Amino acid sequence: MTLKSKKEEAGGKKKKGLRSFLSNKLPPYIMVAPAIIFFLLFTVYPIVDMIILSFYEWNVIQPRKWVGLWNYKYLFDIQIDFKIALQNTIVYTVSEVFFLILFALIFSVWLQKDSKVNAVLQRIMFFPHLCAMLAVSVMFSWLMDENGLFNMVLSFFHLPGLRWLNSSSTAMMSVVIVSVWKSIGYQTLILLSALKTIPADIYEAAALDNTGPVRKFFCITIPLLSPQLFFMLITITMSSFKVFDSVRMLTKGGPGKSTVVLVYYIWSYAQSNLKYGVAAAAGVVLLVILLILTFFYFRILDKKVHYQ
Amino acid sequence: MGKIVLKNICKNFGEVKVLENLDLTIEDGTFTVLVGSSGCGKTTLLRIIAGIGPATSGEIYLNDEEISDVAPGRRNIAMVFQNYAIYPNMTVKGNIEFGLKNNHVPKAERERLISEIAESVGLTELLKRKPSALSGGQRQRVALARAMVKKPEVFLMDEPLSNLDAKLRIQMRSELIELHKRLKTTFVYVTHDQVEAMSMADKIVLMEKGVIQQQGSPEEIYRNPSNVFTAQFIGTPAMNILKLPNGCHMGFRPEKALMSETAPYENCAYRTQGQVLTREMLGSETLYKVMVAHVDGSSQPVMVKMTEETIAEDRSVRIAVPEKDLYFFDREEARIRKEEKPGQYEECLRCLREVRT
Amino acid sequence: MTAKQKRKIARIVTGTLNTLFKVFVGFLFLFPFYWMAITSVKPYLETLQFPPTLWPKNFTWSGYQTVFRELNIWMYIKNTIIVTGSVMVIQIFVDVPAAYAFARWKFKGSGILWLLVMAAFMVPGQLTFIAIYFMFADWGILNSLLPQILPSGASAFAIFLLRQNFKQIPEELIESARLDNASEWKIMWRLMIPMSKATVVTTLLFSFIGHWNAYFWPLVMTRDEKLKPITLAIERLKDMERGLDYTVIMAGNIILVLPVVVLFLLFSKKIIQAMAYRGMK
Repeated sequence: MTLKSKKEEAGGKKKKGLRSFLSNKLPPYIMVAPAIIFFLLFTVYPIVDMIILSFYEWNVIQPRKWVGLWNYKYLFDIQIDFKIALQNTIVYTVSEVFFLILFALIFSVWLQKDSKVNAVLQRIMFFPHLCAMLAVSVMFSWLMDENGLFNMVLSFFHLPGLRWLNSSSTAMMSVVIVSVWKSIGYQTLILLSALKTIPADIYEAAALDNTGPVRKFFCITIPLLSPQLFFMLITITMSSFKVFDSVRMLTKGGPGKSTVVLVYYIWSYAQSNLKYGVAAAAGVVLLVILLILTFFYFRILDKKVHYQ
Repeated sequence: MGKIVLKNICKNFGEVKVLENLDLTIEDGTFTVLVGSSGCGKTTLLRIIAGIGPATSGEIYLNDEEISDVAPGRRNIAMVFQNYAIYPNMTVKGNIEFGLKNNHVPKAERERLISEIAESVGLTELLKRKPSALSGGQRQRVALARAMVKKPEVFLMDEPLSNLDAKLRIQMRSELIELHKRLKTTFVYVTHDQVEAMSMADKIVLMEKGVIQQQGSPEEIYRNPSNVFTAQFIGTPAMNILKLPNGCHMGFRPEKALMSETAPYENCAYRTQGQVLTREMLGSETLYKVMVAHVDGSSQPVMVKMTEETIAEDRSVRIAVPEKDLYFFDREEARIRKEEKPGQYEECLRCLREVRT
Repeated sequence: MTAKQKRKIARIVTGTLNTLFKVFVGFLFLFPFYWMAITSVKPYLETLQFPPTLWPKNFTWSGYQTVFRELNIWMYIKNTIIVTGSVMVIQIFVDVPAAYAFARWKFKGSGILWLLVMAAFMVPGQLTFIAIYFMFADWGILNSLLPQILPSGASAFAIFLLRQNFKQIPEELIESARLDNASEWKIMWRLMIPMSKATVVTTLLFSFIGHWNAYFWPLVMTRDEKLKPITLAIERLKDMERGLDYTVIMAGNIILVLPVVVLFLLFSKKIIQAMAYRGMK
């Protein structure tokens, strides 16, 4: 073979390579490109910028000034309001997790049977989840008014009225009540569909073994639901750490600082105090918490896949 | 025209080498059947020809033109899939029309082609139906019509009959043969069913572990197998293979063996005695499993197929096979043909004779 | 009484109690909505009455009239609809191809890119709003609706859901379409989308509900009254000069909730299925 023909052959191969690259390798990149650009702009860049900003002092008007870890010191050492916010968020999260899982378990087992009434009730309970938080908060601010329906019911049973959202001792509890009410239908729904995946023959075998309903619940339902319950634990925790809307609408963080949560803290430092560095540092703390939770989330997700 | 030439085809799935340096020529207008057990690489080969599962390396020619990097839709090849791959969201007509539209065939021409094809496969009344309202056989026809309407140079079929019930399968088999006669284009048909392969093919390509074991007409493959694998793959029950004292193998087909309780079979090259173990009545034939005393002194079961059904279980019988129906294979299980290796052939024959005396 | 009769009576009693309790729970979840509805048609003075009336003595549409006339609610609704509509259109063109690529193609770097999608799924707007706000300020688009539209352009959840669906479509169909000389674009629009109609509709529904109810994002992105969505307008009803007028507030909230009610009544089965899936994953 002459040198020339060898060269030609090599050229031919290259051309072929390009053609097959264009038809076999390129399309997926073109298809994901728009989405990736959106995510880079609106997820990656903001997060990176937030982490950088957390080491600076900045109030928009003056240029950014490097302050090292001062913002973090401000959060944990200098002021106590961040610790209060963190504490409030934890209280809120723990109550959400506890009540949502408890009620979701009760309701899902109770409404498990396929019947018309159950289907209708499931839908009624689910609807608030889709409904705007704003409308829900308006309804509950009226219900929880000092002359509102809740106190009327309490006085009917000769119980003293509560100040609900207007007292620092009950405000957090009231916010929890509202959000549990709003999303219990959704959580119930998830558990109901998880229950459907438990094979009927297990229950049939239990029935033949003369298993009582309580035993059935604790020895069969709960263990078989445990991956799902753990999953719920993580997702509820994650969404609770992000809570903002209900707090803003119902209490605006008050009375005092009794319902200031993490995101509310970040928002108010950015919006009203114009201390963007501090807001960013608080954001980083929330990000770390969410990352840890995400890690567990995927661990369980993997396990579940292996399980099947 | 539809001649396919595959040169030096390799295909790896990750670390696993499915095909290695495979060469194959499929002549224009033949009904070629790729047959082999599952995992032998026959479907992989078909997908390489179609272009939907490109080869790792190697070249494919269609009518002497290289098409290795031509997009599947531009190869002028049609394929019928195992599960038909009918687009569930389109009507029967939409399914047939889809490819034509992609190739920018004008509307009037499309209508003409569709009605012509629908007529020829008997789908005219069903054109407006959705696939979900079709039976298995009707879906099969839609898949065929969709392939035919493109007037391709090559039809590829990947076990198209495996999802049909037995009766329909036999009917579709003969319809496909007729179709091939009518269209006179190249058919490449993949199946694991040797009966299907024997009944439909002009040419059978028998594959195992990514290697072509033998290719030829059904008759050739049946009568003149080149190795133990081919000999045992084609024909039911499989050919009896027995070891000879010299390490070679001897084989005979169950339907070629002679068996009776009394006849001496003087003129047969292979003669032995045995005892009937079981008897299966198949209708026109009866299948016997017989324990025979083999040349090396051991006893081995062999299958014998006969039209007579007079011999009862547990009876002692004589079994014999004439020389023309005996096959010899060497230690590597390759065929020893009399005309190619007369020395080895004679040696094997001698093994049989020695024992008899 | 025989044991059989006893068992029968016990069954009837528990059954009735069970149903009664279910009615009670249903009441707990429906009552607030009922209250909102009747309050919105009560005259102002009747809303102040103690104890409150369970059915309005006098009906009035004045609450709705105030919302529509004094508040110029149409402008806000228009903003919401433009935002929601644009988001849905952008999402279709961005999410469907991405989901298709992730479901059907093996390509170098797909792992790391998928990780990026997951990250976007986990990172809430509550963390990104500061940087994005100033980015938009740099771009000079703060005085448009774009800040409310663009950040939702790609939805990780939609990509997730669609990818799952595309994965279930048999490979043969796509191969067959490629043999039929269909482009990837055509395979997507003529095959994948029609075959995943239910999922596409569901993701669009979620998108709609999410943006109709959106609160946090517009709150941090909008300064100009002309750009605010319906939620922010309805929220302001509480801070009107005349003080708390529950007739008007409830009327506004009914308007806010009504489209979602209608959608839920129409698509409840689909929504519930998708929601359950989202929770199970």
